[in-house]
Amino acid sequence: MAVFRREIPTAVLSFIGIVILLAFFTTFDIFETLDGVFTSWIPVVSAVSVGLGLIYMIYAQYMNYQRDKNLNNMIYLVVPLIFFAIFFGTAMLVPGNISSDAYQWLYFHIYQNVGGVIYAVMFFTLASSAIRTMRLVTKDPAGGYQFRLEAAALMFGGLIYTLRQIPLFQVYLPGIVGFGELIMLVPNVGGGRAAVIAAALAAITVGIRTLWGKERTTTEVD
Amino acid sequence: MATARERLAKATRFYQIIWALCLIGMFIPLISPLGLPVTVSEPVKDYYNSIVELPEGSVIAVSFGASASLLDEQEAQFLATWKTIFKNGYKVIFYCSTEDASIVINNELDEVVPESFGYTYGEDYVILPYSPLGEAGQAAFAQSIRSIYSTDINGDPLNSIPLMQDIDNHEGIDLLIYQYTSCTDIEWAVRQWVVPYKTAVIATTLGCCGPMAAPYYPTQIQGFLSGSGAGTELEVVSGNPGPGAAMSDAKNLGILPFLAAIIWMNVKPFIGKED
Repeated sequence: MAVFRREIPTAVLSFIGIVILLAFFTTFDIFETLDGVFTSWIPVVSAVSVGLGLIYMIYAQYMNYQRDKNLNNMIYLVVPLIFFAIFFGTAMLVPGNISSDAYQWLYFHIYQNVGGVIYAVMFFTLASSAIRTMRLVTKDPAGGYQFRLEAAALMFGGLIYTLRQIPLFQVYLPGIVGFGELIMLVPNVGGGRAAVIAAALAAITVGIRTLWGKERTTTEVD
Repeated sequence: MATARERLAKATRFYQIIWALCLIGMFIPLISPLGLPVTVSEPVKDYYNSIVELPEGSVIAVSFGASASLLDEQEAQFLATWKTIFKNGYKVIFYCSTEDASIVINNELDEVVPESFGYTYGEDYVILPYSPLGEAGQAAFAQSIRSIYSTDINGDPLNSIPLMQDIDNHEGIDLLIYQYTSCTDIEWAVRQWVVPYKTAVIATTLGCCGPMAAPYYPTQIQGFLSGSGAGTELEVVSGNPGPGAAMSDAKNLGILPFLAAIIWMNVKPFIGKED
């Protein structure tokens, strides 16, 4: 029903948004109190959304398997569920819960290591991407050379900032520390602040549209 | 002329070789340490000074959002920070904002034992359990700690904990150490602690997030640590040796194949090698 999908969420959003704005811009205690109540609800809503996310993830994997019943999709569906059951069961059933030796073992010997490996592989692929991105000259199909200014800027800033953090270059490349900090604290700060201001202006626009019920993506999920 | 699949396979082999050389480069200093000196940067010095220059008996809140998967990047920062705090005798409220944080902090405090610095749990430090805070949760915590947490990590009511008797909001906090792993989250601390209450904030994050914290330094945040390199620098400036030295040493040679690959990729078009 459209009223549940659109009007009610919009009314709730607008009411809460306006109260929080009034709490910020006025001195009435009632708005301050309501603001405190609303903000303290957020962790509760977030906690519920974690559970909803789990259900949604399982459902999405199940539908993925239903669409294409092959071994890979079966593994993608079953393996996370097995690990979920092991972790959840240990946390709930073993005395001591997440402080129990069993859960700590699972956590530090499986979860942490798997997570660490994923991030390590990700950083290796990031390094590969950086190598490709920092090609200053490329050949066009006609055989001519093309200089890439954006790659040069990225290489200049990225390499100096990276080398500045490595003791080998701090020792044998005098000035790299100061230069690296200059890159970080001058052009980076200027660009970063400009981006933040632009994002803030955009957020105001989105906020006003949300309060007016014009930002449909905040209330409707297709 | 090689097919697209052959070119992809060749490129993959190239990167695999680079990765292998990086790994070998990282292992050499672990076996035979180079022990090169580390230069301490300004944001790290200011981070350290923000802690040690606090008046005696100050209360520090640590918003702890650690990720176990990323612990290698931040553990040196954490250990050196806790040691610095405990050596100076400040009161500490750790509050956990990620699922991992409550487990990680317990593990950390098994290593840097507060009691060995004369601390007593409940009187000098307290750990508040995981709550999915987000930005609104940070705002709520700054307004009223009890609106988020009714008990500590052991399930004891906050009102029964001596340290928490007179503390319920930002007014009881002298310094916020804001730890995060998602780069734009630094804005949460700025928006919810610095702007409304002018709370002193320092931050600790991943290496890749440093450039996004820098725009707020030194006006909104007084100092920040980014990555294991900054953790090593904090170990040096605070005189608390830890795992950061080995990590910085490993990076010395691990970076070299990466640099060689960049040079090779830029030389290649000029010597007639296939792209």
